[in-house]
Amino acid sequence: MNAYRRLGAPSLPLRAAQWLLLAVALAFALGPILWGLSTSLKTPEEINALPPTWIPHEITFANYAEAVFSARFLRHVLNTVLVVAACLAISLWVSAHAAYAAARFRFRGKNLILILMWTTIMIPGVAVIVPLYLASVWTGLYDTLWALILVYSAWLVPTLIWLLRGFVSGIPVELEEAARIDGCSRLSAFYRITLPLLRPGLLAGSVLVFTLVWNEFLIGYSLVLSNESRLVQVGIYFFITEVGIKWGPLTAAAIGAILPILIAYAFLQRAFIQGLSAGAVKG
Amino acid sequence: MVLTISAPLRLAPRPRVEGRLQPYLFLLPALVLVALISFLPLAFAVLQSFFRSEYLNLGRFVGTENYLDFLYGRGGAGFLWNSLVYCAGTVAVALPLGFLLALVLNQDLPFRGPLRTLLILPWLVSNLVGALLWGWLGNPQYSPVIHSLRQLGLAVPDMVTDKHAAMTAVVLCNAWASYPLVMVLVLAALQTVPRELLESAEIDGASGWQRFRFVTFPMVSNTTLVCLVLTTLHAFKNVEIILLMTGGGPVGGTETMAIRVFQEGFQFFRMGVASSGAIVVFLMNVLFTLAFIQVLRTEGGA
Repeated sequence: MNAYRRLGAPSLPLRAAQWLLLAVALAFALGPILWGLSTSLKTPEEINALPPTWIPHEITFANYAEAVFSARFLRHVLNTVLVVAACLAISLWVSAHAAYAAARFRFRGKNLILILMWTTIMIPGVAVIVPLYLASVWTGLYDTLWALILVYSAWLVPTLIWLLRGFVSGIPVELEEAARIDGCSRLSAFYRITLPLLRPGLLAGSVLVFTLVWNEFLIGYSLVLSNESRLVQVGIYFFITEVGIKWGPLTAAAIGAILPILIAYAFLQRAFIQGLSAGAVKG
Repeated sequence: MVLTISAPLRLAPRPRVEGRLQPYLFLLPALVLVALISFLPLAFAVLQSFFRSEYLNLGRFVGTENYLDFLYGRGGAGFLWNSLVYCAGTVAVALPLGFLLALVLNQDLPFRGPLRTLLILPWLVSNLVGALLWGWLGNPQYSPVIHSLRQLGLAVPDMVTDKHAAMTAVVLCNAWASYPLVMVLVLAALQTVPRELLESAEIDGASGWQRFRFVTFPMVSNTTLVCLVLTTLHAFKNVEIILLMTGGGPVGGTETMAIRVFQEGFQFFRMGVASSGAIVVFLMNVLFTLAFIQVLRTEGGA
């Protein structure tokens, strides 16, 4: 017990240095967010006031109202939710099957196929936006949400296979074998036994899907033209370039874009850490 | 014993043809999706990089002209230097910061949970929104930070007109977005260091620094290397932050390779040149990753 405490308790100067580091890091981490939050609650006069004020004297929600209505923020949120839902369905369904094959079967060419798929994680988004743009124009998918859904799903699949394979391996194979003794086929054993037990993995995967689609900009910018089909991040970008810089509504939109992820994180910390760490390779 | 060994054998008779095809069927949808949307475009980009492009169509074959144009045209290859500075600067801030925070948060600390949550926040913010917030905090006219510094009599350069100030701003923003990943991964690695090992080192008379240097650090050095690579790759291919904060300016002072590819494609619509640049970015990405795997292997073997 004594040794425990001595290990955990550094000397006084070291301790002071640690708290100093934490204080500086907190200011660095939260400074831009809090300044944005403060601006979003200010009146236009106070935003342009010199010297700038850290805390608004008079709180107003007018900026949020303007961001929501004039920039069609709600439409962009709805589009993003639709794309997230479609990507969840497609990429999780596809990846769960592939991850099952990777974890449970031995077959010719397995390693080659998996490694080929995983190398696509190394393809930077900026390297394929031009061909994807051309392909979407040729197939008629340009400026539709389908273009985004397909690209995001394909980007997510290799990472999801990587993530889910680990979870499948963690499920005892005996459970499936028992089901197969009872007459289940391999596929129905997968649906009835493995898939329900895969829930924590699917949850972590969902977090990955949600954060990628919600935060992605490059593809959303290059494959969509009309305001009606834009997703949240692209909507915010055009809010800057088209409306001209109005910092009040702009910071309100930025805070509004952070909020859903923040709320989800508050409830699903563990799944977030698992999902985001797996997805860190693709940016 | 005999039963448990022979039971699976009897359950799984030699697979028939559909049985042998089964794993491929499980993999097929994933394979088709990835082949169509990741491999095909990459292959097309390779093809396109050797042709002059007439907006959406391929023109005549031009050999390596696009590559030379990308590397030497329009003000030369200053973007190589900018990419290097951007990556190195990001790593130089994010890696030590994330590492030290992980060490601090690995101890018994009051408010450890809330502190960790608050310090993870920048990870959850998109690069675009992060750039927007940093751009506003670095606004030469309205920033409270710059205002206070000026009140103290410091000459703060303006990120709109000063190259170095602009680079500092985008590096800070990217480091802000990158350090939480380092913190989370190193923290996870630190938690695998067995407490008994540290205790026995202490009983043998190792100082705090020695315990860190010879027990803790070797056990997290691989993770730190992974963080180094992830942070570098993210900085190398990142477009959003620079695009929004500086647009590559002033006078090309923050124009990285990734930004150049984006501009060639979507501002100048020179698709062939953009594709050649994209291939260069991809190859550098692959080379860096392979070199890293090699290092990781030799480290693990030693």
